[in-house]
Amino acid sequence: MEAKKDRKPILGSRLSDESFITLFMVGVLILVFSFASLFVRNFFTIQNVINLITNNWFVIIIGIGVTFLLITGHFDMSVGGVIALTGVLSVYFSQGVNVSSNPLANGLGLPYVVALILTLVCAMGIGGLNAFFVTRLRVPSIIVTLGTAMLARGAAQVITQGAQRNTSLPEGFGVLGSLGIPGTTIRLSLMIMIALILLSFFFEKRMIYARRVYLIGANPVAARLSGINVGKYVTSLYIISALLAGITGILLASEYNAGMANRAVGYEFDALVIALLGGVSIAGGFGSVLGMFVGALILSVVTSAATGLLLSPDWQFILKAVVTFIAIMVQRYALDRRKG
Amino acid sequence: MANTKKETLQRQSDRSDAIRANIKRYYIYVVLALIVIAFSMLKLDQVKFFGRGHFLSPDSVINIFRSAVPILTVSGAFTLLMISGYIDLSVGSAMSLSAVIFSWLILNDFSFLPAFIITMIAGCIMGFLNGYLVMKLRITPVIATLVTLSLFKGIALLIVPDGLSAIKGTAEREMPGWINDFGRKEIFLGLPAAFWLAVLIIIILVIVQRKTILGKYAAAIGGNRLAAELSGIDPVKIVWLLYIIVGFFAAIAGMARASYMSLGDPLSGDGMELSCIIAVLLGGTAFSGGEGSVAKTMVGAIIIICVTTGLMTVIPAYWQVFAMGTVLLIAVVINYQLARDKGKA
Repeated sequence: MEAKKDRKPILGSRLSDESFITLFMVGVLILVFSFASLFVRNFFTIQNVINLITNNWFVIIIGIGVTFLLITGHFDMSVGGVIALTGVLSVYFSQGVNVSSNPLANGLGLPYVVALILTLVCAMGIGGLNAFFVTRLRVPSIIVTLGTAMLARGAAQVITQGAQRNTSLPEGFGVLGSLGIPGTTIRLSLMIMIALILLSFFFEKRMIYARRVYLIGANPVAARLSGINVGKYVTSLYIISALLAGITGILLASEYNAGMANRAVGYEFDALVIALLGGVSIAGGFGSVLGMFVGALILSVVTSAATGLLLSPDWQFILKAVVTFIAIMVQRYALDRRKG
Repeated sequence: MANTKKETLQRQSDRSDAIRANIKRYYIYVVLALIVIAFSMLKLDQVKFFGRGHFLSPDSVINIFRSAVPILTVSGAFTLLMISGYIDLSVGSAMSLSAVIFSWLILNDFSFLPAFIITMIAGCIMGFLNGYLVMKLRITPVIATLVTLSLFKGIALLIVPDGLSAIKGTAEREMPGWINDFGRKEIFLGLPAAFWLAVLIIIILVIVQRKTILGKYAAAIGGNRLAAELSGIDPVKIVWLLYIIVGFFAAIAGMARASYMSLGDPLSGDGMELSCIIAVLLGGTAFSGGEGSVAKTMVGAIIIICVTTGLMTVIPAYWQVFAMGTVLLIAVVINYQLARDKGKA
């Protein structure tokens, strides 16, 4: 430790640690992207670059909520389950009443807008449940959210009887998912994603609320002693996270014109991975949505390059594990050196 | 007069503390009994008492014990790890990978014992890796074991040839019939060797937890890591060892399942980490570690298997995940209530 003291910091100390890590990960992204462009055929094309973002909009949207929760030191592993549940619910609420003898074709027959609002309310209910267990009963968030993930996915399976609902949908059900600029792959979902990223970037840098979120993560006791109602903040973040997952679920259901019980399996893990790749600290108090976005791009470059190199899709699990591990170690090393 | 009144009050509060302690000690057995009774009453009009099809018929009980083998094998070691305040979310994947390795070895003409030993070593390596990430590199247990969860699952999926869903006998290469011997062949009371091995493991782990230094050290580390360190315990070594033990038993559990199903399914262990967590929480082990009981985890494990098996006979299978999620949250609430009672007393 003593010897390290004299070593110069890697970058100027005017940069905050957060900006440093984000810039660092941008560097990693450029590196990974250059490698992929060199070795994978047709990788360096405009269409492919657009696809790298458009194919991952859902993980990025849920990543926002997961990132903020992670900053406060909490996990949200229920987002995948909530996507499945809300997708199924948006279908179930809007399906016609008594249209056929098949129970999977009959829903509640609500107007589409009402169905969507109800669906989002249900999503927020799951978020509230998470928050209740975490803030009131002080249960580790990983256990609770894994439990509510089962609850949400289980409810989706019950409603779809383990399969999917895709008949007797109202007209206009698929509009949200297919709306977009004609002739391109840019759709409404992508625009929502960009809007949410910008919004949360503003939220993160300019709002007192967000700065308090960081304080809670950095030191919950100090936050409580300085008069911050920690429970309230964590609760609101869990509800926001579930709400974002709900929006994703509705958009996905609309895109595929179906509510499937096993949609979004493992997305919670992907969201966690991209947040960690983007430099969000597991210990809390550190990280940014922009970093998470960069992390998502890195993961997407790595996985699509692997597919381009004709590796079997089974490789993706190992790739994700290795990439996450390297990200954690490299970031720690970089921060250690910087602190000297 | 006043003095005696005080004494009476004191005695009363002692008594209510004793009642509370008793509730804490025995509630899990009551829960198990209630569940068994409830499932036995269901559809009573359709079946004869203790007859075929009844929840308590010998066939059904044997079936319950047989399907409980993997969780019984692995949740004891999992309890010890949780007592020391750590967690291993990769047990399910480790189980799947072991099942795949074991059946791959057998399919490639290994005999039982070498295959068994190699898989056990593989399990230890998996546990070693977890311990290394958590204790040496100091990565948060949840993240480290999520990483290895993904890693083990990926390796298991890679070993399975493209186009097949599991390691199993094909037209060119048949799976030897004796792969069943360990997990299915009845050797005593209609139960297979894997079950009796699980019983042996449980007995050993209960003794380890209650009577040996390892159990005491695990509780000490979970209770107050700093104090444990200051009193000369090396948490790195102890917890690392516990991770290896969990990997070891996950391998045995994986082999039991592979042997029972005669194939190595790379997804067969999915969700085992949650089942283990539920069993441990039902058994009253504190979230933060420091205290807990291997024996009670076993009761918790039996409760889980009873609920899943029992529910299957009553409601359609697609209720299963929902039911398990509910049981998990109920277990969390019960656990919280018990912990609060302890705080009061």
